[in-house]
Amino acid sequence: MSSVQEEKQGLLGIVDAIGRFPREAFSTWWDIIGMISIALTASKDIFKPSQRPIFWELFKDQLYETGVRAVYINGMIAMFIGALMMARLFAYFPKQVLSTQYAYLFVVVVVRELGPLISGIILIARSATAVTSKIGNLRVRREFQVLHGMGINPVFLYLVPVFFAFPISLCLMLIYFDFICILSAFAVIWYSDPDVSFLPFLSSILEQISLNEIGINAVKAILGGMLIGVISIHFGAKATDSFEDISEAISNSTTTQLMAFFLLNVVLSLLAYTQ
Amino acid sequence: MTLSISNLTIEYPNASVFVGIDLEVAPNELVAVRSEVLDGGTSLLKGIAGFLNGVQGRVLLQGINLLDNPPTEVIYRIGYVYEALGLVSLFNVRENIALPLQFHSKLTHEEIDARVVAVGERFGLNESIYRMKPHELNDVQTRLVNLARALVVRPLLLLVDELEGGMSDAYLRDTIDAIREHQQQYPMPVIMTTMSDEIFNRADRVYRIEDRNLVQGAA
Repeated sequence: MSSVQEEKQGLLGIVDAIGRFPREAFSTWWDIIGMISIALTASKDIFKPSQRPIFWELFKDQLYETGVRAVYINGMIAMFIGALMMARLFAYFPKQVLSTQYAYLFVVVVVRELGPLISGIILIARSATAVTSKIGNLRVRREFQVLHGMGINPVFLYLVPVFFAFPISLCLMLIYFDFICILSAFAVIWYSDPDVSFLPFLSSILEQISLNEIGINAVKAILGGMLIGVISIHFGAKATDSFEDISEAISNSTTTQLMAFFLLNVVLSLLAYTQ
Repeated sequence: MTLSISNLTIEYPNASVFVGIDLEVAPNELVAVRSEVLDGGTSLLKGIAGFLNGVQGRVLLQGINLLDNPPTEVIYRIGYVYEALGLVSLFNVRENIALPLQFHSKLTHEEIDARVVAVGERFGLNESIYRMKPHELNDVQTRLVNLARALVVRPLLLLVDELEGGMSDAYLRDTIDAIREHQQQYPMPVIMTTMSDEIFNRADRVYRIEDRNLVQGAA
């Protein structure tokens, strides 16, 4: 091969490498949008009397695993964050300012941003990786083919329960997070000033939470939960022959979920809270 | 409900496995196909069931070509017994056996349960096995559960892929007898790939795979 040809090949290789990333990213997101549409289409089978009990059992199991069992980890992290935030605020602000400003700061920092973000990260780390791994294993064990052989749509058994359970779980996790954060922050205040009572403290925070905050958090939880669930299944279903495919699927799925979830949160916060 | 296979050709992207198979199996017949390692026995059964791409020809059952996207009422009544795995790990044994009926039929929970118990009894499945998850079963139990799930729908066609692995001759004889009893009660064509003389002895006809086709006789 002449040096001119080699140079051409090298240039083509670089162009190909540069073009590959956007091409793969576009293809992945196109597939994910397609899966959302497939999940919505398959959801209509929930209304078939013979299939509803099967869905309901799987949905309950998924909700328990994802939303209920997350209380412990969500609660622990919320407790640390609530206590840490309060302790830091005590260190920087005079006590008089703190008592009036704490509720506002709590809503801006915890309710608006930290609560959704940390709950989403816990959902990704705790449940989404498990779903990706499970789907990958099912693919490697050819269980989708078995279901097709019985005329059963695997999407109905595996995607639809996750598609509905993840957003509800994320809503529940947000509620635990905010509530435990308030409790732990109050514990720190009470430790420093035993005269403070809980109900006025709670009502000062609740007064700061507007319908707008509740609505935006609900949108973050619903869209974020659906997105995380669909991405888990998408990458799990890409595993084909070997168990190595599963570890690769988990890695790719987690990266994509983190990027997508952070982006969604930033965009929604900017749209909702920018004056 | 005779199964009529004509000019069945199975091809993978880089290999042609079967060319022009013609076969008819009556509802009360058991046809055994002698299958050696990697000679395409599993592909033959999956091709007949319509599970594979790259299959040409016709597989007629009740006037419906199984290769031509048959309706769900037909798909779920093609009983397929996998040589390995084949169960859905989300569910326990009882739920696995009941799954196709629960998903597709209008039977009540009690009727489905009665069918599961009836077919399970034929193959010695009991309450402790019903509660197990697929990963807790050994290979023989897995195949028996596959068989029970295939028969619980009272299939229009039964395809069995190498049932005998790990079974003693006596156990295999009893299992084949149970399949034949079921066949007498609910007539269906049965095709089995096998290397077992016990099955050849109990089959109505025996074929072997030769030159990408089926030739009558086990030798």
